[in-house]
Amino acid sequence: MRIWRPIVAAAALSLTLAACASTDTPATTSTSAGPWQFTNGNGELVKADKTPTRIIAHAGEAAALMSFGIKPVGVYADESVKTDPNLKGLDLTGIEILGEEWGKIDVEKAASLRPDLIVADWWPAEKAHSGLEEGVDEKSKKLKELAPVVGVSQGKSIVDLAEGYEDLAQSLGAKVDAPDIAAAKKKFEDAVAAFKAAVATKPNLTALAMSPADDKVYVANPEYAPELLDFQKWGLKVVNPAKPDPGFPYWENLSWENADKYQPDLILWDGRSYTDKANAEWGKKQPTWFAIKAAKANAVVSWPAYWLHTFGHFATELDKLTVAIKAADENVGS
Amino acid sequence: MSTSTVRARRALALGPGLAVLCAILALVAFLSITLGSRDIGLSDVLRALFGLDGDNSIEHTVTVDMRVPRTLLGIGVGAALGVAGTVLQGVTRNPLADTGIMGVNSGAAAFVVLAITVLGVRGVGVYIWFAFAGAIIATLLVYAIASLGREGATPVKLALAGAAVTAGMGSLTTGIEMTNVDALNELRFWQVGSLAGRYAPILSGVAPFLIIGLIASLACGRALNGLALGEDTARGLGQRVGLTRAAAFTIVAVLAGAATAACGPIVFVGLIVPHLARFICGPDYRWIMPYSMLLSPIVLLLADIVGRVVARPGELQVGVVLGVLGAPVFIGIVRYGRLSEA
Repeated sequence: MRIWRPIVAAAALSLTLAACASTDTPATTSTSAGPWQFTNGNGELVKADKTPTRIIAHAGEAAALMSFGIKPVGVYADESVKTDPNLKGLDLTGIEILGEEWGKIDVEKAASLRPDLIVADWWPAEKAHSGLEEGVDEKSKKLKELAPVVGVSQGKSIVDLAEGYEDLAQSLGAKVDAPDIAAAKKKFEDAVAAFKAAVATKPNLTALAMSPADDKVYVANPEYAPELLDFQKWGLKVVNPAKPDPGFPYWENLSWENADKYQPDLILWDGRSYTDKANAEWGKKQPTWFAIKAAKANAVVSWPAYWLHTFGHFATELDKLTVAIKAADENVGS
Repeated sequence: MSTSTVRARRALALGPGLAVLCAILALVAFLSITLGSRDIGLSDVLRALFGLDGDNSIEHTVTVDMRVPRTLLGIGVGAALGVAGTVLQGVTRNPLADTGIMGVNSGAAAFVVLAITVLGVRGVGVYIWFAFAGAIIATLLVYAIASLGREGATPVKLALAGAAVTAGMGSLTTGIEMTNVDALNELRFWQVGSLAGRYAPILSGVAPFLIIGLIASLACGRALNGLALGEDTARGLGQRVGLTRAAAFTIVAVLAGAATAACGPIVFVGLIVPHLARFICGPDYRWIMPYSMLLSPIVLLLADIVGRVVARPGELQVGVVLGVLGAPVFIGIVRYGRLSEA
């Protein structure tokens, strides 16, 4: 969970990770059954003598593989598998659950599954795979000793990410031309068209991606949130915060005194904490929350923060955003 | 020079010293209201404080609804932590005693996760009562366990019981966290002590406990002086050692419990300030107590101000600032100071 890290590692705030890596290279594949290879998110080529079949995957990555019919032997998630949006509606019978909390993976159980591949996103800002980042349980990191780790980079677009996992699935022997996959892509293209059309009617609309927490407000930095970059690409003016945390550049941290530093017309609310009542609750709890005019006007919508991996999920989420954009007033924040 | 003249001279200097500390505290409190992560001009702050600006400007909200309660809470919690640390170091005659090792923090955490999982409650305003209950129960448990056996709650047994209860409560918390991710996420709010995000309701909730505890603590200076001479001497002087200990522990439980419930575990204040006070006042707890009570909020508020201005537009939790600044100070005390037998 990318929001919790700064809280867990608060003491290490000054620890500055090296800036963004420009190592995002498109994934390449090899479809042969024999020696297998895949270009990892960090640009390294990972090879194996034969195509891996016993896969352990992080939740969203597992969902992506399963959408192409590849069932992992084990899954670890950042939250309960019952609430993880990626795993919603998926049949998990026969899959070992190896973790349901960020930073904690049962590596012993993972070892007993004798995996030959670990699939987890590559996070360029942290230069690490999901579940193996700075701040997780040291024991969890031993997961990478069990098998090679590969993942697509959480780079500049969810489209790249989804296509990357399609390539990975294909390299692992999946058929990627099934009708439901094509249908999901079509649905996604329609959703993007509707999104673009809605944005085009409101040229002045600005949006800000936020995640309020008890002791501060986090403002997302689109540079490290591929779905926000996609929104920007499709015309929505998602505000770039002025001063992201140098040690953890996913966010700019605002104290509650500074909650109204930005005045967007629409608030994209971290989907992991969004509920229908959240805006009213925070307005009651935090004296400055309603100083943000969009919050006062209840112009808030759930933002699928850092979890999307498939065209199907992205389409569903885009439709929700399109509705909110149509309803939004582009002059609230000005 | 006779002892009594030394004492008289000391009182002559220490009395005005208290007045100076009061003035410093007032100044620091003023700074805490005028400085913060948001840049508000002094005139705006003053107009907000005196209600001259209407009450719907953001400057008014930040000054009156956020900084004033935060500052008052900082004063109350700071004083409580310093005094609790002083009483604890006195009663256990352990210069390294602080509320953390008496199970206060672990008890508070355990009860918060229990409240979330068993009772399904949510919200900071509700948690503080469970945290408070947990802190008090843990402290009393430590005392009860240490009291078993012939000599009663001796310093060594207190330290051991504190470690045991802390470990027990800690494993309870971890056990629940493993099975309930929700509880873990909610608990993170407590992991680092902070004055941020706490407003008037929390202040008014804990204020009565803080005030009663602080007043009561001023009355136990004499008894702690007796205990400092050693148990047998104290008993020989006619002091009821068991009763003193029980009273002291109640005060610690109330003060540290309320402080931890409101702000989470804040380190170092309760550990370092008593040493500072002892360094200034000498061994007389009747002076150490009020000095701790004034020095601690000064330290806490200053650390909080630093945390609020160094990381704009965000802020650092006061627990982090104290950890960073407190560690070297503490090492200094251990290394160069007389880490006097409390």
